Amino acid sequence: MRYALLVQGGPYSHQAAHSALRFAEAAIARGHHLETVFFYHDGVYNAARLAAPPQDEPHLVDGFRSLHEAHGTQLKVCIAAGLRRGLLDEREAARHGKQGHSLEAPFELTGLGQLIDAGLSHDRLITFSP
Amino acid sequence: MILHTLNRSPTESRVYRQALAAMGPDDRLLLIEDGVQGALPSLVRHFGELEGRLFALREDLEARGLAGRCAAEVLVVDADGFVALTEEADKTVSWF
Repeated sequence: MRYALLVQGGPYSHQAAHSALRFAEAAIARGHHLETVFFYHDGVYNAARLAAPPQDEPHLVDGFRSLHEAHGTQLKVCIAAGLRRGLLDEREAARHGKQGHSLEAPFELTGLGQLIDAGLSHDRLITFSP
Repeated sequence: MILHTLNRSPTESRVYRQALAAMGPDDRLLLIEDGVQGALPSLVRHFGELEGRLFALREDLEARGLAGRCAAEVLVVDADGFVALTEEADKTVSWF
């Protein structure tokens, strides 16, 4: 089946991102296609390019990134939630006159419409919230 | 059939009441994260009529030192079983 996950909890403050990653790995192990992870509300912090957790802790950002690298999972970040929280890619940083950027590929800033689309076009959409 | 997930303990939040009120007669409830506390014998009464449709996630029980302490009527599943439940359900609703 084609799966999409919605992550609404920030990293290291709630379990949502851990739960989502664990579910992702289990779904893939059962032969499903994890096509999309959508990050919304504080969940957008899971896309922070500069995240540098201690080496003996799970690296959640790298965990999601590796889903893309190994399985082609699209990592979509709500642009409205991201901009409010300082999650900007190079283009948005330039547009808003900010130095540096905090989000990069394979994470991509997209609109909320992409979440609606994920709900319609995938067989299952599972939500992980704080 | 809809799968409902709940990540709050009945001691912490009353959202479980909304989940129960929303459930149809065939729907299933999976306790995850802090919600697994509800599987304890002292708290499972909050989920009254769900025999055979009440599940708890093994990894979250183990993380809290609660493995083996569930009420007998709770069906314990691991992450693989969680995915299987989402396969069997038409859709999944998350309560938090």
